[in-house]
Amino acid sequence: MFNRTAIAPLEYTRKLWMRSWVGLTMLFLYAPLIVLMIFSFNDSKRNVVWKGFTLKYYEKALNNDSLVEAMVNSLTIAFLATIISLVIGALAAVMLWRFRFPFKGLVEGTMSLPIIVPEICLGVAFLIFFAKVDWPTDLPWPLNLSAITIAHITFCFPFVAMVVRARLASFNKEEEEAAKDLGATEWQAFRDVLLPHIKPSLVAGALLAFTLSLDDFVITFFTSGPDTITFPVKVYSMVRFSVTPEVNAASTILIILTVALTFIALKYQGVKGISDAH
Amino acid sequence: MQDWKSQKKPFAAIATAPVFWLALFFIAPMTIVWLYSFGQNAGPADIDISGTLDNYKRATEWLYLSIFLKSLAVAALTTLICLIIGFPVAMAITFAAPKWRPWLLLGIMLPFWTNLLIRTYALMALMGTNGYMNKGLGELWDGASWLRTLVGMQPLDAWTPVQLLYNNFAVVLGLVYVHLPFMVLPLYSALDRLDKSLIEASLDLGAGHFKTFMKVVVPLAAPGIVAGVMITLIPALGAYLTPDLMGGTDSQMIANVIERQFKRANDWPFGAALSFLLIYAMFILIALQSMRANKVKEAR
Amino acid sequence: MDFKTFLHAGSNRRAMLKGMGVAAVGFSLTGALAGCGEKEAAKLANGEEAKLNFYNWDTYIGETTLEDYKNSADVDVNMTLFASNDELFAKLRAGNQGYDVIVPSNDFVERMAAADMLAEIDKAQIPNFKNVAPEYQDVPYDPARKYSMPYTWLALGIGYRKSKVKSVPDSWKVLFDSDEYKGRIAVLSEAGDMFRLYGKYLGKSVNGLTDADIKMIEAMMIKQKPNIKSFHEDNGQDLLLKGEVDLVLEYNGDIAQIMTEEPDIGFVIPKEGSQLNSDNLCIPKGAPHPKNAHAFINYLLDAEAGKKITETILYPTPNAAAKALMPDDYKNNPVIFPPAAVLAKCEYAKFNPELQPKYEEAFTRIRAA
Repeated sequence: MFNRTAIAPLEYTRKLWMRSWVGLTMLFLYAPLIVLMIFSFNDSKRNVVWKGFTLKYYEKALNNDSLVEAMVNSLTIAFLATIISLVIGALAAVMLWRFRFPFKGLVEGTMSLPIIVPEICLGVAFLIFFAKVDWPTDLPWPLNLSAITIAHITFCFPFVAMVVRARLASFNKEEEEAAKDLGATEWQAFRDVLLPHIKPSLVAGALLAFTLSLDDFVITFFTSGPDTITFPVKVYSMVRFSVTPEVNAASTILIILTVALTFIALKYQGVKGISDAH
Repeated sequence: MQDWKSQKKPFAAIATAPVFWLALFFIAPMTIVWLYSFGQNAGPADIDISGTLDNYKRATEWLYLSIFLKSLAVAALTTLICLIIGFPVAMAITFAAPKWRPWLLLGIMLPFWTNLLIRTYALMALMGTNGYMNKGLGELWDGASWLRTLVGMQPLDAWTPVQLLYNNFAVVLGLVYVHLPFMVLPLYSALDRLDKSLIEASLDLGAGHFKTFMKVVVPLAAPGIVAGVMITLIPALGAYLTPDLMGGTDSQMIANVIERQFKRANDWPFGAALSFLLIYAMFILIALQSMRANKVKEAR
Repeated sequence: MDFKTFLHAGSNRRAMLKGMGVAAVGFSLTGALAGCGEKEAAKLANGEEAKLNFYNWDTYIGETTLEDYKNSADVDVNMTLFASNDELFAKLRAGNQGYDVIVPSNDFVERMAAADMLAEIDKAQIPNFKNVAPEYQDVPYDPARKYSMPYTWLALGIGYRKSKVKSVPDSWKVLFDSDEYKGRIAVLSEAGDMFRLYGKYLGKSVNGLTDADIKMIEAMMIKQKPNIKSFHEDNGQDLLLKGEVDLVLEYNGDIAQIMTEEPDIGFVIPKEGSQLNSDNLCIPKGAPHPKNAHAFINYLLDAEAGKKITETILYPTPNAAAKALMPDDYKNNPVIFPPAAVLAKCEYAKFNPELQPKYEEAFTRIRAA
């Protein structure tokens, strides 16, 4: 705010109007979350008016077995869905980038469909599909999450494919060919030349897939059963009548968990600048 | 690009998994729903696939087309606002000192990781008639009134809360709130690849900041802008939780109508027909855009 | 479309993902270990595992009911929640995913029975049926109680804030046909209920609307729409409490609940009469533990258990034995138990497969107008 050194022409971020703009945007994004966190300490069942400070809803949330189970389910599904989406999405991207084959346009178009289908339509489609193929509903944990996981992977991997494909566009094929000239097999060329190049997009895709899976409600609602509740579905059924502080407490816990994990990861790696060599 | 025949084994290794998954777990379920769109209800829980086009005929009635156009307008407005708000934010992140960049990016992404429903309820708590936004505005109003009395003018009338919720304003605000991170990321990614020396050159040659912005930055960041617009417009078009919770009596969007068919009206064939019309429309949008992008690429 | 990378140094983001992955695995393992212990369900004397999947509305059970049941019958009740009848129906339509006891409303009991989704209830396994008040032992929507047992009953009416209304709003006109409280009204978003109540306002039976009636009501609703602030989805009582609206179309039980917190709230059933609802316990076809289901339903109809449930949810109860055990301020509460004269004008909604789609389409038109 108070400039000690003169601002260079390109240092937009140090300009006052830019900082205020970003500041206001952050306020807009975070104000509701802060209100949510504050109200998780509210001593009122209906949570409409502030009535006093209490920690009892945190106790309630942590002791609420079904809520904890729902959180565990959500994280597990997100984890599994992310990994498999990464693999399938990356393969799909490479396939579209590298090869010419009949019906390529059709495959490409179909692959972007999961992104534009309205979620409720996709949810109903999965409901009917799993019912028609008599998908077993009494498998032990975590196999009983398979239906939900499959549904999540289906709508996550096109996003991964999109991101990886964009990165592939900037790949210099000659590097791969050079590796092969030097004696590498297909697999080695793939692993040692292509894979490192697309790594950043794999990370971005993984982030995207993880978030989409963790937050999904509609599709999960239709594919879940009595033993496979996830966090968004549980929260949805709880807030329909009124938002109790318990729900706020659970959400705050989830937010803090996410932030904590991020900090740990960054500390572990060191806070590196994004501006590493392009 | 290679022809698949020249490298059959690698092609098989790479292509089997995605194609198989797509076929089994996407095309199969969607085909069932697609078939339903040609059927009709035969009793409360059965559907008779009779090959009728009645559902599609009904879906193209003006009533539903008008709702679709209105949804498109709302989604477009949301996207525009996200673009206007998001572009400076993306620029700020791009030009920030390297040690701040990951934190700023994290800051933008973090709200995205909270549950959508809870975020919406938190926003609603702020915007209600007795919520904090109205309270804050009320305080400002009272303060202005008091200032007026200080200088001897008549005080203002008593403050009546502004209706911030249960109207179209709330829906747009809610949609912007949810989709802003979606817009910032592709913009940042495109701006990051920008060659900064071009901007410097333009400034050196005498163009002001704004002119440089419009004539140098925006055209070069165009692919990122297009990506951001696509990734914001399409989900906004299909949004139904936000209009449902925050909207007023005339804030119905097409996804709400589709949801009503699948749930309350128990008319799955009609819901399927509406969904597929929506899908066809969006598909055409994307196809047009990617054809244009290909033409541009070839022209370069 | 040129997405490029979002972040260049994959390292710190990758580490973040790695960290998340580690945590997720950690959670999964603890969950699995915890789960492993519980999954060994004992076999009961009746041959089924000691488990029950109960699909219920939120906050629709006593605070200790499930624990008490576990202590008395040694059966683990796994209660999951749904938020509306349509969701329940949409989910179970394609097949039962493992639910043993569900709680549909009266018109959905009819619908599900017609769709062959409910199992018949064996009354021999439910001796507590005698606790049910006589007027609920045989109802138009389930003759002879073949498929359902009553859990609660409700009536629709007007909840209002006493300090903000000029006089007690004892007619539907205030909500449906007047701009006296413009912008301070909230009504239900359920098309069927809205049309039927308009029918009541116009002096007709809820189940006797004709096409001409529907057209007329649609026009009335479009005319009234500017005066309505919101079509709420069953959270009308919250809107009233928060001061968003001053008059709301809601169930008597919901309003009774907030009346304990806020004395400024009142409730009235309009003089033209209203609609009755009832939530019922049913066993869907394909339930994995039918005998446990019967035993659980029997337990819920017990006088003492029923009393504990009613203490928590404060809805009118059809369980006469439980009602007898409740304190006087509950039994004599005119909001919870409206006077007989008023109840005489209230009817149950019948499930009508022809009219329902018409209501829905009309409602879409109303909302788009």
